[in-house]
Amino acid sequence: MNVKTIITWIFQIIPAVILLQTLRFKFTADPMSVEIFTALGMEPWGRILIGILELIAGILLLTPRAVLGAVLAFGVMVGAIIGHVSILGVTGQHGPLFLMAVATLICSAIVIHLRRTQLPLFGKTME
Amino acid sequence: MREKPYKHLRISEHRGGMSRLAVDLPKMAVATNIAIPATAVLFGALGYFIHFAFHFLTVSFIFLTLVNFFYRHVQTRHTLLRNFGIIAQMRYLIESIGPELRQYLYASDTEEKPFSRNERAEVYRKAKNADSSQSFGSLLNFDNHEIKLRHSLYPVDKEFQQPYKVTFGEERKIKNTYTITKPFIISAMSYGALGQNAVRALARGAKAAGIPMNTGEGGYPKYHMMEDCDLIFQMGTAKFGVRNNDGTLNDKKLKALAKKPQIKMIEIKFSQGAKPGKGGLLPKEKITAEIAELRGVPMGEDVISPPHHKECTDAKSTVAFIKHVQDVAQLPVGIKMCFGREDEFRALIKEMKKQKVFPDYITIDGAEGGTGAAPKSFMDESGLPIFKSLPIVNRILKEEKVRNKLKLMCAGKLINPGKQMTALALGADAIYTARGFMLALGCIQALQCNKNTCPVGITTHDPHFQKGLVIKDKAVRVANYVKNLEHDFEEMLASMGCASVKDLSPENVYLPRDAECTT
Repeated sequence: MNVKTIITWIFQIIPAVILLQTLRFKFTADPMSVEIFTALGMEPWGRILIGILELIAGILLLTPRAVLGAVLAFGVMVGAIIGHVSILGVTGQHGPLFLMAVATLICSAIVIHLRRTQLPLFGKTME
Repeated sequence: MREKPYKHLRISEHRGGMSRLAVDLPKMAVATNIAIPATAVLFGALGYFIHFAFHFLTVSFIFLTLVNFFYRHVQTRHTLLRNFGIIAQMRYLIESIGPELRQYLYASDTEEKPFSRNERAEVYRKAKNADSSQSFGSLLNFDNHEIKLRHSLYPVDKEFQQPYKVTFGEERKIKNTYTITKPFIISAMSYGALGQNAVRALARGAKAAGIPMNTGEGGYPKYHMMEDCDLIFQMGTAKFGVRNNDGTLNDKKLKALAKKPQIKMIEIKFSQGAKPGKGGLLPKEKITAEIAELRGVPMGEDVISPPHHKECTDAKSTVAFIKHVQDVAQLPVGIKMCFGREDEFRALIKEMKKQKVFPDYITIDGAEGGTGAAPKSFMDESGLPIFKSLPIVNRILKEEKVRNKLKLMCAGKLINPGKQMTALALGADAIYTARGFMLALGCIQALQCNKNTCPVGITTHDPHFQKGLVIKDKAVRVANYVKNLEHDFEEMLASMGCASVKDLSPENVYLPRDAECTT
C-alpha cells in the first residue's frame, strides 16, 4: 500500500465518520436537528432525505466506490454551507456544525481530486 | 465596390454550394460556459428567496461549474475540453457509442468489417438451424472483382457422392494416423484468449459434430480436454505447456501430452496471419496460478513469446526441428504459417526434400486471419491473404513434386461454405476456422477480444459475462453449424459436378486477374 493510497483512505474515513455519527440526530428527530430543518422549511422530509443521502455517502466512502460517496458528500456539504451562510448562521449555536460541514467538504473535495479518474462519465478525461 | 451577392450567406453555404445545418461549437461553448455558473447563481437566488429546496439544483450546478473549470483551466491533456469546456464532452460521449450506432443503425448489410451482417447472419442461421435462404437477389456487387465458384453443366446426383475422408500421417505410414471425415476444424483458440465456458462449449460441439479442435498455444489444454473431443495440440513459439524455462522444447512434457488419448496431432506454429513474424508478451499481471501451471511458466515475471522458435533459425534447423517433434510425439505433426516470401518457402520445401522429412500437413493462415490482440500495422499490412497465398503454395508443392507428401490446410475468414469451397478448390484438403465457430457461439463482433469485456462471454474470463454463455445450449449451435455447412457442401459439390472434395480443382474457381483476392 503506497503513501497516496493511505492518504486517500484517511481523507475518506474522516468525512465518513463525521457523516455517519451525526445521522442519529437526524433519524431520531433530535430537537436541534428538527429546529434546523424547520428553519430551512424542509421538516421532516428534508431531514430524512438528507439523512439518507449522508448514510449512502458515508457507506460509499468506505468502499472502493469512494469517489461516488465523496461527490455525494461534497454536494450535501455545499448545501449545508449554503444553509449556514444564508439562514442558520456560521457562529453561535450552529458554529460547530458549520465547522464540521467545512471539514467534510474539504476532505471529500480532496478525495474527489485524488480519485477523479474513477468518476463516472467524466473520469476518462480527468487525468 | 459592389457588394458580393453571397455575402449574406454562411461560410458553410457558399463553400459547399449547398446549405447544411452548421453547429458553431465555439459559440455554443461560450454560451454553455456562461450558462452553467449563471444557472447555479439563479438557483441560489431561488433557494434564498423562495424555498431552500432549490439548493439541490444550486449544488448540482456548482459541481458542474467546478468540473468545467477543471477542464478549461487545470487539465492540459485534452485540447477540445481545454478550449471549449464541458460541452466538448458531448463529442467523446457520442464518439464512444459510434461503433454501436453504426452497427445497429447505419452500416449496410454488406459493408461491416471484418464480417458483414450478411456473412454473420448466415452463420447465425446455420447455428440456430434456421432457414438460410434469401429472396429477390444477391446483395453483393457483381463488378468482376469477385472470386466466384464455377458450376458444371452436369451436376452430380447425390447418390454418386463420396464421403469426405482425409488421413493425416498416412504418407509417413506411421502407426498413429488421424482421419477426419468432415473438412472442418475448429481453429486455434487457447484457454486464455477464450474463457472456459467458450472453450468447453466449442469442445462439446466439436465432439457432437465429430470434428477436431485446435487447442491454440495456451499450454496444457485442461478445458479443451474436459469434453473429450479430438484435439490438435498447438505449440507456439513460447511452447507453452511443453517448454523448458529457457523456452526450448521439453521432450518429456511433449511425449506425455502426446500420449493423452484426446491429442491426435501436434501443430508447430511458425507464424499467424494476424501478426506474422511477431512474438508476444504475457504480462505478469495476467499470470494467475492456473495460467502459470497450464502454460508452464513462473509467476511474477513477464513471459516473452519470441517471434520464432528458438530451435528454428533457418530452413535446415526448422526441418530438423519438425523431425524431432515427429519423433518425440509419435503423432502426425503439422506446421502452421502465414505465407510471406516465395523464395523462402521454396527453400524450406527443398530442404525437406533434402532431409527427406515432411510435416504431415501445412496450414496456410491468410493475412486476414483473426486474433485476440495484434498491432494494427501487422494486422492490416503484413502477410499474404489466403486466396493469394494458397494457389502459390499449392503450385510450389506441385512443382517440387511433394504435394503428395503432405496435406494442406488453410485458414483466414473462411466462415461461409462458398469461401470454404473456394479454398478447397484452390488446393486445400481441410478448412480451419475460428471466428466461424465464435459466431456460432453467439459472437456479435463487438471487437473487444483484447479487453476482457466480451459482452457475449466468449473472449473474457469475467464470470459476470461468461454467465450468459451456457455450454449445453451453445454446444448444440456449434454442432448445428457444422451440420448445415456439410449440407451446403453436398449441394455445392453436386452443382460443380464433383463427387467429392478431392475432385475440386482450381478450374472450379473464377479468380479475377486484377482483383484483390482476399476473402
